[in-house]
Amino acid sequence: MSTQELLQTRKDLLTIGDLSREEILQILDTAKPFKDLFTRSVKKVPTLRGKTVLNLFYEPSTRTRTSFEIAAKRLSADVTNFAVSTSSVVKGESILDTIDTLQAMQVDYMIVRHSVSGVPEYIARHTHAAVVNAGDGHHAHPTQAMLDAFTFREVYSEMTGKRIVVAGDILHSRVARSVFEVMHILGVEVATFGPATLVPETIPSYVKILRSFDEVLEFDPHVLYLLRLQLERQKANFFPSMREYHKLYGVTTERFKILRERGTWIMHPGPVNRGVELVDDVMTYSRTLINQQVENGIATRMAILYHLTPEEQKRLPLPEEIRA
Amino acid sequence: MSLHLIQNGLVVLPNEKAPLKKDVLVEDGVIRQIADSIPQVEGAQILDAGGKILHPGLCDPHVHLREPGREDSETIESGSEAAIAGGYTHILAMPNTDPPIDTGGMVTYVQSMAANRSRIPVSVAGCLTKGRKGDKLAEVADMAAQGAVMMTDCNHALQDEYVLRRALEYTLHFDVVVGVYPDTPALSGEGVMNEGEVSFRLGLQGIPAMAEEIAIERELRVARAVGGRIHIQNVSTGEGVASIRRFKAQGLKVTAETTPHHLLLNHEALEGYHTRFKMMPPLRTAEDQEALLDGLKDGTLDMIATGHAPHTDFEKNLDFAHAPFGVTGLETALPALYSCLVETGKLDWQTLMRAMCNAPRSLLKIDPIAFVEGGKFEAVLFDPEGETVISRETMKSRSFNSPWLGETLKGKVEQVFLGSRTLMGG
Repeated sequence: MSTQELLQTRKDLLTIGDLSREEILQILDTAKPFKDLFTRSVKKVPTLRGKTVLNLFYEPSTRTRTSFEIAAKRLSADVTNFAVSTSSVVKGESILDTIDTLQAMQVDYMIVRHSVSGVPEYIARHTHAAVVNAGDGHHAHPTQAMLDAFTFREVYSEMTGKRIVVAGDILHSRVARSVFEVMHILGVEVATFGPATLVPETIPSYVKILRSFDEVLEFDPHVLYLLRLQLERQKANFFPSMREYHKLYGVTTERFKILRERGTWIMHPGPVNRGVELVDDVMTYSRTLINQQVENGIATRMAILYHLTPEEQKRLPLPEEIRA
Repeated sequence: MSLHLIQNGLVVLPNEKAPLKKDVLVEDGVIRQIADSIPQVEGAQILDAGGKILHPGLCDPHVHLREPGREDSETIESGSEAAIAGGYTHILAMPNTDPPIDTGGMVTYVQSMAANRSRIPVSVAGCLTKGRKGDKLAEVADMAAQGAVMMTDCNHALQDEYVLRRALEYTLHFDVVVGVYPDTPALSGEGVMNEGEVSFRLGLQGIPAMAEEIAIERELRVARAVGGRIHIQNVSTGEGVASIRRFKAQGLKVTAETTPHHLLLNHEALEGYHTRFKMMPPLRTAEDQEALLDGLKDGTLDMIATGHAPHTDFEKNLDFAHAPFGVTGLETALPALYSCLVETGKLDWQTLMRAMCNAPRSLLKIDPIAFVEGGKFEAVLFDPEGETVISRETMKSRSFNSPWLGETLKGKVEQVFLGSRTLMGG
């Protein structure tokens, strides 16, 4: 299918579950020519020229915000960063007040991150701008999942029937929820591995729960996806110590040997806690995809911004530069 | 002298499961005659109630009127007018005002305000502990002497079993009931909705059912050991109902309430993150709804209380984690329960009226309403074919945090009578 035959469009991207399999594949297909742009001397296309993209981050983030900023700039949009401290919200300025202000500034796209689940959806209901969820609470991080699917697909062009293990703190992870969804929709068998305190029985029924590293080896994943462990979870008694966590659920030196022999691919949304999720050696392993994930994040987010259309605007044609 | 003849109404009578077609003659606010047919009486004003239900005025034993302290969200006047609009003729004001009602003086103050600003009687509850802090007993005897009928810390769950024990013992000699809100804060923690598949999917922190189950079991055990009258508020879990049923079978004097929301809605309603469904205890599962309804029918749950908890738009427009718990209920309870349970045949009028009238009246130690000759006329004329629009324009409450905001419910409160006064309609 040529990218010019794109039919679907939508105002917002809030969660992977909003997207059909076809729509996901469309976006991933569009991301490819955007990524090819990066090797050219001029990495920019005029697709969103004259449009305003606003990074509305209620929670600090450098990596994701920068990734969106570069993606929007490579589409020739004007980008503004609007950092809001969550405390001001509680003190008296409601989210709605902020959105009304931004609405008056005629912003076309809002990239929203918030520590509370559901805020991007709430904002999307109250603005004409296209809203991209850049991570909300423990709920969803759809652009991360899309870039992960893109990265997976670069390694395995046929994803159906492949296997992935998502390891770590599932309970508090928006990345895990979105990765589960996108992988499941694309036909990948999904399993999870982590302490029982952090892998609740209420996860989707299609996700297999693995209880030991031996079970992980038996499942034999094509990709082992490690989640970042928030160090404060130890204080809340989800597990007794970092040492024990690493020993039971991390990629130790011994385990890394087995994985390398098998050629298992490693993914991680970053930033990595060395010595917790994985040992240092994993970072230089040829099948560690962490840097590709970062690079693909820009291309995928370009494709997502391109895919979305603010209310009352017509879809724009693909730029000449990437049609060839 | 005033004479009213209400003809052709379907009257909810004591000991009759379904309403019966009767004529009712009312003289100076007292029922003179109930008969299959009463012909024209000289001087009587005739009201044709054909097809409409005539039932006792409702009583809500759990209302947050917010005055004094948060008059921006509700006042005694607006809250009692909302009650009348919903068919209530008596309510119990909760003590979590600012300052809280934790002294005899505060009880008197709220009573005197209510006497001036409410057209229906308002009973007052006092705090069980000073400032609702859960550690030191408030002067419950003094508050009882001033007329407070219940002692409760509302949604500040008693965490200390020792305090609960002493409170129940101390109140043994005074005619007051101790209201407890069943929660185990160590387990509910920072949760904002029921813990389960929906909370995982939405990425919201869960409140496990065991937080309530353990609290109910603990509270009932203390009550059984020391005696005293205990009333369990806001029951939301099936296991909680099972515990209460077991203790009641052993003869424990306990009463319990649930809410219209917990009977009619479950945690799936939180999809979309609308804060008008955020409440404590949280909406549970469809199985819990079934168990609550069974408990209501067999009398394990004595009564339905709305827990009417008004909050301003500003507060409820905060994100899901920071928006306060609580929903309003006075104006929606009857039409919502009627259209979802009575009209569908899941609950009869008799049981609904027990739960919304005489069981709560007995808890507040006020006379039951009986439609018998010589009885006081405290009644509601309800049109089952009518419609109640739940909107900002139609609601009397100052706050609009109703789960049914924007909906039209079947059934409508048309007239409300309190003795010789017609409070609404007519």
